[in-house]
Amino acid sequence: MKDYLLLIVSAVFVNNILLAQYLGNCPFLGCSKELGVALGMGGAVVFVATLATAFTWLIQTFALAPFGLDYLQTIAFIVVIAALVQFVEMFLKKAMPPLYTSLGIYLPLITTNCAVLGIAIIAQRKEMDFVTAVIFSAAAAAGFLLALLLMAGIRERYEVTRIPKPLQGTAIGLVTAGFMSLAFFAFSGMI
Amino acid sequence: MSGFTQALTRGMWREIPPFRLVLGLCPTLAVTKSADNGLGMGAAVIFVLVLSNFFISLLRKLIPAKVRIACFIVVAATLVVAVELLMQAFAYPLYQTLGIFVPLIVVNCIILGRAEAFAAKNGPLLSIADGLGMGVGFTCSLTVLGALREAFGAGTVFGARVMPEAYQPVAFMVEAPGAFVCLGLLLAAMNALGRDAGQPPAGCRACGACYEAAARREGGA
Amino acid sequence: MREIAAMLVVLSAICGASGWILASLREYAAPLIEEQELVHVKGPALRHAFGAFDNDPVRERRRVALPDGGTLLVFPARKGGRLSAVAFERFGEGYGGPLGVMVGFDLSRDALSGIGITTHRETPGVGSRVTSEGFLVQFQGHPFAKLGLKAAGGDIDAVSGATTSSTAASRAVAEALRLWGGIRPEIEKAFAGEGP
Repeated sequence: MKDYLLLIVSAVFVNNILLAQYLGNCPFLGCSKELGVALGMGGAVVFVATLATAFTWLIQTFALAPFGLDYLQTIAFIVVIAALVQFVEMFLKKAMPPLYTSLGIYLPLITTNCAVLGIAIIAQRKEMDFVTAVIFSAAAAAGFLLALLLMAGIRERYEVTRIPKPLQGTAIGLVTAGFMSLAFFAFSGMI
Repeated sequence: MSGFTQALTRGMWREIPPFRLVLGLCPTLAVTKSADNGLGMGAAVIFVLVLSNFFISLLRKLIPAKVRIACFIVVAATLVVAVELLMQAFAYPLYQTLGIFVPLIVVNCIILGRAEAFAAKNGPLLSIADGLGMGVGFTCSLTVLGALREAFGAGTVFGARVMPEAYQPVAFMVEAPGAFVCLGLLLAAMNALGRDAGQPPAGCRACGACYEAAARREGGA
Repeated sequence: MREIAAMLVVLSAICGASGWILASLREYAAPLIEEQELVHVKGPALRHAFGAFDNDPVRERRRVALPDGGTLLVFPARKGGRLSAVAFERFGEGYGGPLGVMVGFDLSRDALSGIGITTHRETPGVGSRVTSEGFLVQFQGHPFAKLGLKAAGGDIDAVSGATTSSTAASRAVAEALRLWGGIRPEIEKAFAGEGP
């Protein structure tokens, strides 16, 4: 139990997928202008990343590894994730319309979100077992959601702040991310 | 022939990624700890981008519109796996340092972005030129960023010392925070330099949206 | 209906072509990759495990049959063409998973030539310090007697705060030593008289 707790703290704070491992930066900068959008995108990533890691773990263990096809990992994972996103979208539309209306528009954008593929590959490279992999992926995606929400909070303030013209938009977003990342560095003393 | 030159040079300055066309930020931030890492990553991206543009442009009349994204992803993923294998066989240390970012080239928005915005509409020759231009532009950006961070963070460029002996390296620059701040400031500098402050493709909500935005720009131009 | 059929055909054709291309590329690259992995993963550990040598241990590696039916990959070190030491890899169970140790045996006397760590998944900054020079140097030229951690009656100092990882390394060495007695003649025969 203690191991899992440590894993979660490490994935959310110390090795934050966005601020320490540089994954998923495009949506981080693109979707962090309003809190509502950030919440939707982050929620969709948590949902899909957890599912995707579970599926890719099963595929790697039962379909690729036994036949020595490890080298096809990248192609298999991305195809699985793309297909999964399609199915999740269809399923949500039919079964859970309220959830679909809040997450729906973000789902198609997730296929090319490197955080999702990245988490699945990291879980594989660290040779985690199934339960660890699922917990890790949920925690890492939660870290993504956390960073996205914090960023959105800051950027909403920027709307009413005077920023030098060249720095407006993505540039100031990146600089802000840099200082957030510096703040998250402090967590590395925790473990 | 002017179309060809235009396609080739567009990516090298006017729409140089990731500064003018804000695409593919993750590898830009992650692998630019040193100049040669940036160059290696750039070379891998050139390989994938040129070939994926070429194949997609060849197949563009065969691919049904509804499954085109799936087809693009399969083509790109195939090329990425090929790069992974070749890199392991011929440049193993580079493969070790780039780590997880080699397989992640497949979700680099530049690949899908150019496939959708350019290769799906133009002939093979033009598409190769476009891929080459964009790839070279991306490589230059990565190398410059890597050289900057390496110079301030370790006092060297391509492993050769450039700073005076007395220079105390700023570890901040080679760590994650330095990556963000450095890229942000470079972007600001590019904006200040550009005549019409090159804003990123409007409403770049996520990588997936980038190529839609790029497609619209392409259509308008 | 025709549209769906076209989609399926195109998609499967592309997937098939990609599978074929990658399989043949893999066929071509696999031996090269194996070689590269040995050079870059085992190479540094080999330099630690042997003192001085002037050959290419990775290129001259041999598979030697084990008494229990398996095989063992053995790397030779030569000085001036003469076989001076050999090394092979064994594993111990560390904190984060298996810890690979390349154990080098000095052929001129009953002693280790040294050890090097090949792969590990120990905690950075803690268990990973078993790869530090200070710990590894204790094994250099160490006779077979008293080869173990101080806690187990030997004379090797464990890395402070990383007992599990140190134990793993020492277990791997002990395992290699156990194997060595049985296969030494076999190994010497495999590399006998053949210098560059």
